[in-house]
Amino acid sequence: VESCIRLATLCLLATVALAQEPDAAYDTLVRAFDSQRAHDYDAAVALFQKAAALSPGRPDIRKNLAYTLLKTGDSDAAREQFGEAMRLDPADLHLALEYAFLCYEARENPSARKAEARRIFARIRESADPESRRTADQAFQNIDVPLAAGIARWRQVLAASPPTFSAVYELAQLAEQRDELELAAASYRQAFQLLPERRSVLLELARVEKTRSNSEGMMAALLAASRGPETRTAELAREQLPDRYPYVYEFREALELDPQNAALHRELAYLLLSMSEKKETARADAVEEFRAIVKDSPQDYLAAAQLGLLYLSDNREALAMPILREVLGHADQPTANRVRMALKIPLLLEERRAEVSANDPRLLGERSFEAGFLKDAKRYFLAAREQNPVDASIALKLGWTNNMLHDDAAAIRWFDIARRSSDPVISSEADKAYTNLRPDNERFRSTLWIYPLLSSRWGDLFGYGQLKTEIKVPKLPVRPYVSVRFAGDARRTTGGVSPQNLSESAFIFGVGVATRQWRGATGWFEAGTSIGYLNAQQMADYRGGLSYSKTIGVSLASERSGWFLETLADSVYISRFSNDLLNYSQNRTGFTSSVGPLKIQTFWTSNLTFDVKKQYWANFAETGPGFRFHPDGTPPSLSITLGAVRGIYLVNKGNPHRPNFYDFRVGVWYAVTK
Amino acid sequence: MRLQSSFAAAALLVGASQACSAAIFTVLGSEPGSWPIILSSVGHLPGPATQAGIFVARAGTPAAADWKAKVEHGAALILEGTSPVASSFGFKAGTDSISTVHLVDTHNPALPVIWEKAIELPRYEAPANAQIFAKERWTGAPLVAGVKVGLGAVLWVAADPGRNGYERFPYLMQALADLGVAPVFRSSRLWAFFDYSYRSRADLDYLAERWRKAGISALHVASWHFFDGDPERDAYLKRLIEACHRHGVLVYAWIELPHVSDKFWNDHPEWREKTAILQHAQLDWRKLMNLQNPDCVDAIRTGVRRMMQRFDWDGANLAELYFESLEGAGNPARFTPMNDNVRAAFRAQSGWDPVELWSTRTDAESLRQFLDFRAGLAKRMQEEWLQTAESFREFRPDLDIVLTHVDDRFDTGMKDAIGADAARVLPLLDRQQFWFLIEDPATVWNLGPQRYPEIAAKYKPLTKHPEKLAIDINIVDRYQDVYPTRQQTGTELFELVHLAASAFPRVALYFENSILRPDMPLLASSAAVVRSYSLDARRLTIDSPMDIEVNWSGDGALVDGKPWPAHGSGMLRLPAGAHTLERSARLDAPSITDLNAVLRSAVVESGKRVSFEYTSDSRAIATFDRRLSLLEIDGNSTTPGCDGPAVCTVMLPRGSHRVTVR
Repeated sequence: VESCIRLATLCLLATVALAQEPDAAYDTLVRAFDSQRAHDYDAAVALFQKAAALSPGRPDIRKNLAYTLLKTGDSDAAREQFGEAMRLDPADLHLALEYAFLCYEARENPSARKAEARRIFARIRESADPESRRTADQAFQNIDVPLAAGIARWRQVLAASPPTFSAVYELAQLAEQRDELELAAASYRQAFQLLPERRSVLLELARVEKTRSNSEGMMAALLAASRGPETRTAELAREQLPDRYPYVYEFREALELDPQNAALHRELAYLLLSMSEKKETARADAVEEFRAIVKDSPQDYLAAAQLGLLYLSDNREALAMPILREVLGHADQPTANRVRMALKIPLLLEERRAEVSANDPRLLGERSFEAGFLKDAKRYFLAAREQNPVDASIALKLGWTNNMLHDDAAAIRWFDIARRSSDPVISSEADKAYTNLRPDNERFRSTLWIYPLLSSRWGDLFGYGQLKTEIKVPKLPVRPYVSVRFAGDARRTTGGVSPQNLSESAFIFGVGVATRQWRGATGWFEAGTSIGYLNAQQMADYRGGLSYSKTIGVSLASERSGWFLETLADSVYISRFSNDLLNYSQNRTGFTSSVGPLKIQTFWTSNLTFDVKKQYWANFAETGPGFRFHPDGTPPSLSITLGAVRGIYLVNKGNPHRPNFYDFRVGVWYAVTK
Repeated sequence: MRLQSSFAAAALLVGASQACSAAIFTVLGSEPGSWPIILSSVGHLPGPATQAGIFVARAGTPAAADWKAKVEHGAALILEGTSPVASSFGFKAGTDSISTVHLVDTHNPALPVIWEKAIELPRYEAPANAQIFAKERWTGAPLVAGVKVGLGAVLWVAADPGRNGYERFPYLMQALADLGVAPVFRSSRLWAFFDYSYRSRADLDYLAERWRKAGISALHVASWHFFDGDPERDAYLKRLIEACHRHGVLVYAWIELPHVSDKFWNDHPEWREKTAILQHAQLDWRKLMNLQNPDCVDAIRTGVRRMMQRFDWDGANLAELYFESLEGAGNPARFTPMNDNVRAAFRAQSGWDPVELWSTRTDAESLRQFLDFRAGLAKRMQEEWLQTAESFREFRPDLDIVLTHVDDRFDTGMKDAIGADAARVLPLLDRQQFWFLIEDPATVWNLGPQRYPEIAAKYKPLTKHPEKLAIDINIVDRYQDVYPTRQQTGTELFELVHLAASAFPRVALYFENSILRPDMPLLASSAAVVRSYSLDARRLTIDSPMDIEVNWSGDGALVDGKPWPAHGSGMLRLPAGAHTLERSARLDAPSITDLNAVLRSAVVESGKRVSFEYTSDSRAIATFDRRLSLLEIDGNSTTPGCDGPAVCTVMLPRGSHRVTVR
């Protein structure tokens, strides 16, 4: 029985042993200790770090790493490792003591570190372990007694003489180290008030406020620091701020702490202004805030202009006009023009251009844009926008620049900003661009086009049209769509003994996909059903191809006159035409001009059509004059084309017509996208 | 393979006709920007493109077909921003832009690198195999990246590095070194201050070896921790000095009077200095004693003498021997001296108590009277303590002496603020041998590296001994609004050290523990000053105003056509002046692998004997690659006292001497 019990116990132990996780760090640790013994500390540190990564839950590895780091003199890294070990094993008082001693020696954030050391020693001196208690008590006394004496000394100094930054700041540091947090916070606050240029004090104040769980005080200090002129302090504050945008009351508390902070005032003012669209009382607050800015910084003409315009819109002209006159007299051109626009007086154009610095990002942006360096232009305009966030004309330029860079998503955002401008010229242009671009970037985009065409040659009125709804799927290179096409005519057939259809006379329902446009080219394919409206005949319909269009020069939509060249090329596979591949090339060269209110293009057209199956009706060339115009008062996308061509069939096998022909055509093009 | 070794191999062994060197750089185009300053800061030299191993292609540089081949054959190409040549290596600007002000560098990821002003940069793409050295803080966009291509490397930076070369990317030289383009020259004549408090648990041999590799020749050890004599601390200091000597580093006692020690302060409240509000003068960590009280001075002198006797010091540095504070009379709570002896002496001379300056005598004339009196006191203290230090040579004849003195020429407010007056002290150099170590005050730590040549120019007319002027660089967090880092690091530090080393024979760094880890490997190169450098297929020609070390991978060397014994551990040591170097076979004679002294000459004599001449203001330390059987100093034979069979380190006497070894 005993043997059985022994065997069973051994089996149990073996099972438990086998069930143990293998020590992932074992081999690495062996090498680490070998390196440590050989005084190759750099190798040992690397190996202990590797072991710690392999077994992150083991405090002993951290401890050995820390001791090796101490050998290399890297106390900061050693402290971090002791800290991590302490977190893993909070009961190990020895670790806590090591950590505390290294905190006390730290050169970075010494006040906070010393305070932490003091707290740990204070805790351990209450512990049960007599040795740790004794060590901690001694260390605590070594820290606390000089701190108390220092605080008393600087308090005495401040009681006897006017406060100086260095005295108050020293008191604040000592108080923080001794966890006299109320005194520390008050002293840091006072030190900052004595020397507001030393903005890093705000970070120290924030730290103390955080330690004393005063989150509002911490937020105020961080917010003030983050909006200041000193980028180091601002960036370090930014790292500690929450992700959310600050509330109005937080701005106000920050301003209470840092009342001279112009950036903070301005941001609050604009925040209130934007809130005033929804909340009427915010407008009065915004006015107050702008008033405070102008009072403290009379040279801040941007704020002055904003204040004056707010007064003006409230019909408080007596208050508005002196401010606006000051802006007109001294402000930069865009700011002055905003005011001029509001006062309905002529805008300044280029007369102040010479005053603009060669480094003015707006000017550099304009030059880059004009020279075609669009990426540079974008960079400069963004910098200009940062300098002057309310100048809608820069937003408009950013819209066009992004548009030229084919980043329409960004372009739409900028046009959307610019179209809210109070400047009617800017808002009108931006709105037009926004309206044109937005559909392309909407989730669903529906397009309807129709093209009725009267042909003298066929003596027929043809009608073509399509209603298509596209779905924009993010990250998908193609856009699925559903479509209804119409192709028909009034005459229906050629008549005679073997009448031929002059059009498909059908509605074609289909689903398809189209690529995004790339440099004027689009690929598409759809599958559907054609339903004849004359005979209700249904047949499968598959079609697809490539389309390319390009206009060089002045289009019909342009405000100016000039030459243009327009080319349209289509290569279309259509299953119902015996799986034929038809190719069309239509080219127009001409001049765009205005005749009174009428926009007119006079052109010469040259067209070529050919196919793969070499069917006579699909192989011809034609050329001739024409003109196209957009009648005033009609929708912008409507145009009427009149043209005469002389054509020639390129394949005459099976052609029942003459090899040459004349045709006079009148067509109306209309398209709308929503 | 590192370029530094490929340089030796390619230029000297293979004898390539198109020899190029990582020591020489060329900036393409007509606008070099700050690149010459950056690259020179670690000893690279400008030179013709035909000899250059480092090329800088600034923004907009057109692509050329042969760049890839050039880099593959060993050239280092630095690319800035957007250019066709940058695109050809895969560094391309995207359409998005990022407002950039804050970056994180892999060489010191915990250090916030923040620019004074944000700039808009395109969001760049780096090639997939690139090593990203620095990223934008908030978006992670690459800002500095590099890639090794064949035997060479490409380093790309997203923007102009700034007017002074360090405003944006502190660790460019480290990145270049990571890519294999290490500096070629070194100088090991730096001094560094040392405080035991931060290093009490470090392995001292580990540190000493690292200090020497960083070009440190002497450690100035905070001696107030050892003033009172504590067995544990004394043992530590003895170990420190032994470790330093073993690794070729000298050790000076850094004496920070009127601070003596914590114990001395506690034991003698009656001798404590007072501020103008008559509080005991405990200012920051310093607890100031009354150096006008004869009893106090006697006690301190006895204590310092004992401390100098107890340890094997190589020098003594009397530092900051004047009054407080940088805020001057504007802050009476920090203004010293106002002890009873000073008040009585001044009252006897002027008829009124200087304490009245902050109550009833607020006129400028009265203040002037006291400030001049105070400057005189400071000068007298310095004179007396220099004589005291001189007296230590009775028992330490090789002792070097240093007087650390705040600059009052560049920042002229110092005389009134703390009583420092260099013009009164510098004439002492005519009758006493000591270094005048100029410390630039905290008020100018934010100014650029160019201040060091200016400081040198201001001091040289004040003394007949400009060769005894040294400069102290404080490497600490600055209180001013400074960018990109609060403490000097990377290129800024290298520029400071390089310009200081060009203007002064000695450069001290405060302090060894504040030098950030990524800076240590390149520190010695930043201290190297070379006037010219050229190479052809067979030989290098180097001209340096002071002795210099050159990376050397060969077994042996000919200098000026003769076998040269001063090389080892990948370095070759040359005396000041112009010399040619050629590769040769290994010698069967001792090699001087390290020398902590100024090397004047060296020669290989017959019978495996090597002789060299040196000069040193303290003891010198020489290290050889073998155990010595013979050591003669100026013809007198002495015991070599070598530690082991592999290397031999010997201490040599102060002054100029000829040494022969076998």
